[in-house]
Amino acid sequence: MAHPKLNSNEPTGNIEERWDKHRFSMKLVNPANKRKHTVIVVGTGLAGASASATMAELGYNVKTFGILDSPRRAHSIAAQGGINAAKNYPNDGDSIFRLFYDTVKGGDFRSRESNVYRLAQISNHIIDTCVAQGVPFARDYGGLLANRSFGGAQVSRTFYARGQTGQQLLLGAYSALNRQINAGKVQMHNRHEMLDVVVVGGKARGIITRDITTGKIERHVADAVVLATGGYGNVYYLSTNAKNSNVTAAWRCHKKGAFFANPCFTQIHPTCIPRSGDYQSKLTLMSESLRNDGRVWVPKDKGDKRKPNDIPEAERDYYLERIYPSFGNLVPRDVASRQAKFRVDEGRGVGPTGEAVYLDFLDAIKRDGESTISEKYGNLFQMYEKITDENPYKMPMRIYPAVHYTMGGLWVDYNLQSSLPGLHVAGEANFSDHGANRLGASALMQGLADGYFVIPYTIGHYIAGTEMADITTDHPEFAEAENNVKNRMNTLVGLKGSTHIDDIHRDLGKIMWNQVGMSRSKEGLNEAITNIQTLRDKFWSDGRVAGEENTKNHQLEKAGRIADLLELGELMARDALAREESCGGHFREEHQTPENEALRNDEDFCHVAAFEMKEGEKPSWERHTEDLKFDYVKLTQRSYK
Amino acid sequence: MGGTSTETMKIKLKIWKQDGPSDQGHFIEHTAETVSPDMSFLEMMDVVNEDLVNSGKEPVEFDHDCREGICGSCNMVINGNPHGPDKATTTCQLHMRRFKDGDTVVVEPWRAKAFPVIKDLVVDRSAFDRIMQAGGYVSVSTGNAPDANAIPVPKVDADEAFMSAACIGCGACVAACKNASASLFVSAKISHLALLPQGQAERLERAHAMVTQMDEEGFGACTNTGACSATCPKEISLENIARMNRDFLKAGLQRRK
Amino acid sequence: MELFMRIMKSTIGGKTLVGITGLSFALFLVAHMAGIMLMFVSAEAYNKYGHALISNPAIYIAEAGLIVIFVAHLAKAIQLTIKNNQARPQKYHVAASGEKATTAVQKTLWAQGLLILVFVILHLNTFKFGTIYYVTYDGETIRDLHRLVIEVFQSPAYVGGYFVALLILGFHVKHGVASAFQTLGVNHPKYTPMLKTISLLYALVVVGGFIAQPVYVFLFHKGS
Repeated sequence: MAHPKLNSNEPTGNIEERWDKHRFSMKLVNPANKRKHTVIVVGTGLAGASASATMAELGYNVKTFGILDSPRRAHSIAAQGGINAAKNYPNDGDSIFRLFYDTVKGGDFRSRESNVYRLAQISNHIIDTCVAQGVPFARDYGGLLANRSFGGAQVSRTFYARGQTGQQLLLGAYSALNRQINAGKVQMHNRHEMLDVVVVGGKARGIITRDITTGKIERHVADAVVLATGGYGNVYYLSTNAKNSNVTAAWRCHKKGAFFANPCFTQIHPTCIPRSGDYQSKLTLMSESLRNDGRVWVPKDKGDKRKPNDIPEAERDYYLERIYPSFGNLVPRDVASRQAKFRVDEGRGVGPTGEAVYLDFLDAIKRDGESTISEKYGNLFQMYEKITDENPYKMPMRIYPAVHYTMGGLWVDYNLQSSLPGLHVAGEANFSDHGANRLGASALMQGLADGYFVIPYTIGHYIAGTEMADITTDHPEFAEAENNVKNRMNTLVGLKGSTHIDDIHRDLGKIMWNQVGMSRSKEGLNEAITNIQTLRDKFWSDGRVAGEENTKNHQLEKAGRIADLLELGELMARDALAREESCGGHFREEHQTPENEALRNDEDFCHVAAFEMKEGEKPSWERHTEDLKFDYVKLTQRSYK
Repeated sequence: MGGTSTETMKIKLKIWKQDGPSDQGHFIEHTAETVSPDMSFLEMMDVVNEDLVNSGKEPVEFDHDCREGICGSCNMVINGNPHGPDKATTTCQLHMRRFKDGDTVVVEPWRAKAFPVIKDLVVDRSAFDRIMQAGGYVSVSTGNAPDANAIPVPKVDADEAFMSAACIGCGACVAACKNASASLFVSAKISHLALLPQGQAERLERAHAMVTQMDEEGFGACTNTGACSATCPKEISLENIARMNRDFLKAGLQRRK
Repeated sequence: MELFMRIMKSTIGGKTLVGITGLSFALFLVAHMAGIMLMFVSAEAYNKYGHALISNPAIYIAEAGLIVIFVAHLAKAIQLTIKNNQARPQKYHVAASGEKATTAVQKTLWAQGLLILVFVILHLNTFKFGTIYYVTYDGETIRDLHRLVIEVFQSPAYVGGYFVALLILGFHVKHGVASAFQTLGVNHPKYTPMLKTISLLYALVVVGGFIAQPVYVFLFHKGS
């Protein structure tokens, strides 16, 4: 039985008309009245910047917050590959329906059809908007936009700007934001971290922030709050996320009543540069396109320490080609990742840490010549050499999977409103459109769809249809929330034990990676839950936070984020434990085909799991579900044999 | 060959500490005993900070985020060179194998009047944001756009605009310039839009507004030394500065008020 | 005028003024250098050229123009130098090295300018306002500048100083000419390398021309 708060509010009827119908039925705020309403936006990535700018263009007063020194640095900037849209410019048979279909299927049938269809519809407008802003997408000689096929898609629907699509799109959204800051419609607060949401009369009405440079705790009131704070991949310590990416803003909302959906759906990217030692601070992703020409292998013998070029052909195991003869090295991300982990677990990993497999281009170079390979992958090879000091033209690359994107996030309805009224969630921070697995080049599309084209409409619907008390930051709820934040900061800065908080974060990462990572089992998950709880106790009893509160103190910033990740980690394990199936980014060893393929259980798990946090000394959750119906895309099991 | 190196190095560090904009600031000395050549410069700084914390001292504050050379957060002047000795490299992408065992490395923040120090190596680069707010955009609202292929852009123009747009706004150009001039940054931003048809309507007004704001922020003038471009992690070209000068002068001559 | 002042107030406007005045002065230098080359023709040609210049009433306008250009160049450059200095109140403790470094010539353009100012004053004092000798050609008595020049360039100290000053001028114009084009907005992947070569050639020719005279006099024109 679905929880009453888990009403998707999706329109019914023909899927092609749902969004239009919904836009018509939504309430509007009178243009003259918009300036009387204030909306808080937390986060300045693609979703946050685009939502801020567009709402300001419509006339709302917007207060935008970011933890970095400039909105332009949000981690959307690091996206390399591209952004999908159903323009069908290459005339290769793409359509809105096909993009919708691929996204639902790619998400392994764990997303809402209505949301995904809307995403596909909006995708085209995103490209138009970005081009009008001056985003320098790649073009053909005729001056028209170029497209490429990405992430195994059968059509070329990905728009790109060399390897910097994320930066160029973010600069576009940032420019729109700047225009509104200049117009006085957006008040920008950089280097401010949201530490709590303020709920008045059951509605999100404001936030408490900490000025990172001075430690000052501030109150901000508004009519609605939009969270666009990204994903939580840093729960794994090592990921391709930026160092400051964190779950705190979302987690604070979760604690105040916003349900957290599908936390266990994590995307692991197979072609990252492996870590080189314990000091490793983050992982760098290399485009998946490398697998088009590279051959993945490990030595046949365990613990073979010879240099790769000294290992004869007969003693190499090209395991992807062996296990999946028809797809070979081009199997999907999760399969390639999992197989790499199996090889490492068997003791056949390579490199100084033993946590890597080879990606070998020597055959491709022999076949196509060095210049052809260099044309295709020159940039990536250069990047690899810069980081590892090894030349991939001469010896195989070492690669290993890394956490890249989290499909889970705060539960939202069709209006992107969470189960806490007034709190809207956009971009990677929500759970909405990718189901159990995200397709390549779809993250940028979703962030911008939410920000430019969904939230600005639905926020009006919420504001127009909601009775709101006229309050200021003097309201007792603000005082209480501020007090709680201050107490928490005091407690954190008072931690003067003997364990460095980074060590605790690393330990958390190890637990998550080993037991809540690419391959999960009941036994391992139970163990993880116990270990995370122990680690959390250690954090609060023996953690060490240096420095003081009323100044720039990165240690303190990190401490608060790690504390929240220590709770999130447990929830992820619990979600993974409860989901007795394998789908997308969630693989349970108990649920696989004889060929080690993911085995979905549509009978019992064709639903969104949304967790409600319970009050109490220790975090605990109640699991609710929102059932998913598939009227347009038939439930099928994928196969890559 | 790197990646497999097990030997470690000893690096003597002199790192700038400063409590705030009004504090005088001073260097602290610290020896990092076991630096692996495979560490990035920031990972070495992480280890230094862990050492400092474990010995009861205050860690060094520094800006960093993506650690893959695109967000533009990191900003260290390493032995006098912004982002260290390598070309086309950000601090986070600089690796310790570039240094030798026993080296002394001096780490300073970006230094410019327009970039006041917040703490230690963290500086306030909001002047860049204000320049962008003054006019670094095309005045188009969401929903106004024609079809993306309605205006063809010659590939050469699109590519050149991209090269200018590749600027990551780190501020190394200011740090490297003897005059702390922001010309390379501002000109890259002006050029990105000046090179595209979408940017033509506001082209001169944009150049005028952004340059005026740049001057107000207290950056120096350009002496055309080229140190900015040589330092730029994205190798932004000096051509942009010439373009900015052209557009700014044209704007000055054409303005009616 | 208001428009001019407004543009001049900006750093780019200021640099434009420095660039235009610098280029104008560079043109003057070529003319000046070409003129004194007449020394290698004959004393008579040299003196007649000098006389033709100073006896033309337009000389006052030209001189006034040169002074305005020179003063404007200097004043604006000093003003910008002060602004540039203020833009970095706290200096680095270690100087940049390698490709990211700024050359000594680029760092000391202002000092070069001041030295050139001193040189110009001394130069005018020595020649324009120096001892006046007379010589008569075809019945006309005119100033014998040639004799003064020969006299002055017998002194090793003077020749040495002149040499150093021109070397500084050479570095200054080599940077200046190329830089002025960049400031005025001329930069093109095809033509800019050419401009840089032209700038270098210009510096070599002008400085070479100017130096040729004292060196020639000092080495081969003992006594007059």
